[in-house]
Amino acid sequence: MFFKKIFTLIFAFSFAWTINASAKTQIEWLQWFAAENTRDFYEGLVDEFEAANPNISVKLVTQPFGKVRESIVTDSAVGVGSDVLGLNMPWTTGFLKSDILEPLDAYMSKGSNSFKTANLVQAPIGKINGKTWMVPLNAFPFVMHVNMDLVKKAGFSKPPTSWSELKEQAVAISNLGDGISGIGMPLSSQPPSNGPILTFLPLLYSNGGRIMDGTSPNFDNAKVVETLNFINDLRKSGAMAPGFASRTGGVDLEEFIAGRSGFLISPGVHASAVATRNPDLNYDLVRVPTNGVNAYRVHGWELGIASKSKHKEEAWKFIDFLLSKEVNAKVAKASRALPGNLDSLDLVSGGATPVMKTQMNILSGDEPVEELRQAPSAVASWSIMTEEMQSMLRGDQSAKEAASKVQSRWLDLIS
Amino acid sequence: MRSALIADLNKDMQKILNNISNESIPYLFLLPCLLILGSLLSVPLYKVVEYSLYDNVIVQKNPSFVGLENYKEILGDIAFWKATLNTIIFTVGSVIGHLIIGTSLALLVNTDINPKARTLFRSLLILPWIFTAVVVAVNWQLLLNPFGIINYGLDKLGIINEPLDWLGDPSLAMWSLLLISTWRGYPFIMVSFLSGLQSIPKELYEAAEIDGAGFFGKFWHVTIPQLKPVIYGVALLDLIWTFQLFPLVWLTTGGGPGRSTEVLSTMTFRYAFVNFEFSQASTVAVSILIISAAFTIFYLRNEKSRI
Repeated sequence: MFFKKIFTLIFAFSFAWTINASAKTQIEWLQWFAAENTRDFYEGLVDEFEAANPNISVKLVTQPFGKVRESIVTDSAVGVGSDVLGLNMPWTTGFLKSDILEPLDAYMSKGSNSFKTANLVQAPIGKINGKTWMVPLNAFPFVMHVNMDLVKKAGFSKPPTSWSELKEQAVAISNLGDGISGIGMPLSSQPPSNGPILTFLPLLYSNGGRIMDGTSPNFDNAKVVETLNFINDLRKSGAMAPGFASRTGGVDLEEFIAGRSGFLISPGVHASAVATRNPDLNYDLVRVPTNGVNAYRVHGWELGIASKSKHKEEAWKFIDFLLSKEVNAKVAKASRALPGNLDSLDLVSGGATPVMKTQMNILSGDEPVEELRQAPSAVASWSIMTEEMQSMLRGDQSAKEAASKVQSRWLDLIS
Repeated sequence: MRSALIADLNKDMQKILNNISNESIPYLFLLPCLLILGSLLSVPLYKVVEYSLYDNVIVQKNPSFVGLENYKEILGDIAFWKATLNTIIFTVGSVIGHLIIGTSLALLVNTDINPKARTLFRSLLILPWIFTAVVVAVNWQLLLNPFGIINYGLDKLGIINEPLDWLGDPSLAMWSLLLISTWRGYPFIMVSFLSGLQSIPKELYEAAEIDGAGFFGKFWHVTIPQLKPVIYGVALLDLIWTFQLFPLVWLTTGGGPGRSTEVLSTMTFRYAFVNFEFSQASTVAVSILIISAAFTIFYLRNEKSRI
């Protein structure tokens, strides 16, 4: 009799637990953000969301940046995968071809949202095919990170502001010897092989150039050739670190953090890696030296919903939570970037470091440029740019020839 | 009389049924394994071949059947033939490197020295086989970096005047990759040959010595003929593995600079995950499959003839 009662109790509890568990909806969030120098921060955010929404649980799936794009494609192909997706703007057209993303217009027009669409950073929410596909979690400009000790050692008091000053200072820093280089050019073919978009595009935009004409490739124009010539000139004058064709973006960052490069053109978010990994570095952050135009490549971490998700409403609820004023400010501070919801700007600017303030000045005063979101086969086009720039820097072809080849190969790719 | 006939017939039937059930029992035990293995192998294989016959699968919701069009396109693409040539150079070069280094080291660690020292050397020399491709790639990138230790050493020895970009110079990248692949793959050959060497009767060497054979004479006339079956089998196996090797190449050079180290496996990945052209990726994958299958048939025939 006693055992019967115990058994009944256990059964009743199990049943109640099962009912409770099945009432809870689990959504999955695939991203690379939690791998970027923010230990336990995103886990804390998930806990906060779950406490406020007891019927939803969030499974955090963190992968390296280079792996996330592949996972999204393969998951979608087999019909499994995450509900909330961490996205990068240049992936957009490729994902739209495969019908991976859910349009967000209906969700964004909800009156219950914690943010106003007009307050979001605008680049990611611009419509493609008449619809919005992603929202910005944060934003950061491409900047130039500067090793001030090397600048001073080379005989200069301030970081360069123009192309001619950049060349002069980079040459002087390279001449210091002992394995020190002025600037690195990460043009390795290794995945993600995105060197040109890290260094070439920011320089091109500061020269007033573009690689797209609307949604069509337009690589063989005078501004592109002029920028390629400048990069070639950096190599010929000895300003560039040797081994450009085997230098990855990661190595370029590590060399700067280790104090072996004078300058690093990369996203402002790398300030976080520099500050945490080498706090002793006499470090500054400035706008990319210009050739007459104050424009910057705007970049950020975006969020979207998988079209095959079975829990789209819950997924949006989580995105809405991440974009709310306080939470978005916390995300921005943790990633040392600007908030995707500009309403959070006042919370972020309170107690902001000089490095963060410089980024804010660039964002508020200069022209933002983002071309890759609507570029056809953007990711494949990076490889082509990398290969042709490698060939140019080896001296196998001129800047003009490199530009023409990229243009024709890019057109072949999308034909 | 009639009932006796029926009884005999029943007995015979029972016997046949018993035989069938006795014979089929082993197959029943094998069935789950065969089903799992069969589905794990045949389904992906079928899908890859099927994908290669369609136009832009996965990316398009309703891909259309194009027959052998993808094969025609790939076979007419100069990049495919360049990748094929690179694959042959990489595979043959790696296997030759593995055989030379593996055999030499097997002979060294088979010599009659202090047993503790011999065990230590054997353990150390097998290490490259234990490391994952990522670790191997990262370490060799550091070693071969323009500011790395290899350039430093060559500079100090006065062999070079300026640092070489081993993995970024098209004329050096394939050689560097072969060096890395040889370093990574020789332990398998070394271990296989070591076991082969230990099974060669000592009397053969003694007889050769009596006949006046020196080190090379014994190696050429005793060791090589005795190891021949092992060499043939292991070399074929190595050929099959190296032919489809992907991670080491992708993580070390990414097929570059340019496409100077692009092999068929990296080309497959590039088509699939860089260009999102899964049909073309499947077509290249099928070509790898056909060549690997040919090597495998050779290997199996060799193994059969040994039995």
